[in-house]
Amino acid sequence: MDRFKLRKAEPKDVPDILRLIKELAKYEDMEDQVILTEKDLLEDGFGDHPFYHCIVAEVPSDKQSNNGPVVIGFAMYYFTYDPWIGKLLYLEDFFVMGEYRGFGIGSEILKLLSHTAVKTRCSSMHFIVAEGNQASIEFYKRRGAADLSLEEGWRLFKIDKSSLLKMSSGPEE
Amino acid sequence: MNFKVRAARKEDCKEISRMIMELAVYEKMADQVKTSHEELERDGFSPNPFYECLIAEVPDEHKTKDGYTVVGYALYFYTYSTWKGRSVYMEDLYVMPDFRGKGIGKGLMAKVAQVGVEKQCVRLQLSVLEWNKPSLDFYIAKGAEDLTAKEGWHFLRFDGQTLDTLAKEAPKD
Repeated sequence: MDRFKLRKAEPKDVPDILRLIKELAKYEDMEDQVILTEKDLLEDGFGDHPFYHCIVAEVPSDKQSNNGPVVIGFAMYYFTYDPWIGKLLYLEDFFVMGEYRGFGIGSEILKLLSHTAVKTRCSSMHFIVAEGNQASIEFYKRRGAADLSLEEGWRLFKIDKSSLLKMSSGPEE
Repeated sequence: MNFKVRAARKEDCKEISRMIMELAVYEKMADQVKTSHEELERDGFSPNPFYECLIAEVPDEHKTKDGYTVVGYALYFYTYSTWKGRSVYMEDLYVMPDFRGKGIGKGLMAKVAQVGVEKQCVRLQLSVLEWNKPSLDFYIAKGAEDLTAKEGWHFLRFDGQTLDTLAKEAPKD
């Protein structure tokens, strides 16, 4: 696998991005949780104030088997803010199709993301990994990632829409 | 006690910077704060801001012994879930110790929730240090779920030397 290309995603990539999002969710045993549509992805990623940025990995069409897809991997990221150190690059999703793994594509995507982080003045690149996903944890730790949940004790919390509505409609102070 | 929650203005950055340091001291990580109020001004009040901030103010007659009327803040930004779409992430929530127990923290958070709902966010996320029992109790009472405990999510980070090393190996444009 010596011929693959990494590039910024374009609006026409949205169907492929959604396909890969669902494949990654399936890998994490959570396929039924993807409620995002192509319309959401288009509006949220390619409007005036994008909520995310995306890199895609593609292989030339003559390398496909059975006229399979050309886009075979992606990484979705956005910029977050740490009041102590400033801008950060947050890696939300990162996936390479099963049959295209082991060729260094994931590694190249991670390097490109790191380069993007440094170029855009980010001090750090953050992301989350499920502790059961040993393959991914090893991949990141081999490249120098620190586990902040273990090292510093950070725990991730979420508050769902129904609780948000309850909170936001409470009596005025 | 009467208090008001409002969107921060550029001139509030000195106060926000002061409180960021107070929160870092509480979290026993004061030496990790590298941002100045100038960076906060640049990163939060440009055409493409990297965060939004709400502050809590008390009237002059309740000001602190050092003369401050700004007694709390909430700093947040928008993130993106490939499963559910737009989310809001509350990075910092802080009320000065003498002003706690008066509903100010709840007021700040309710306003973040309201902003999130208005922007069609499906959830709010935040992280808490595992030893920070008062904060854990505060968030759980409002419906927060610990995803680190429930689903095994860990925060990972590439920064400093490890980020630079990866970046140098990125494919050339």
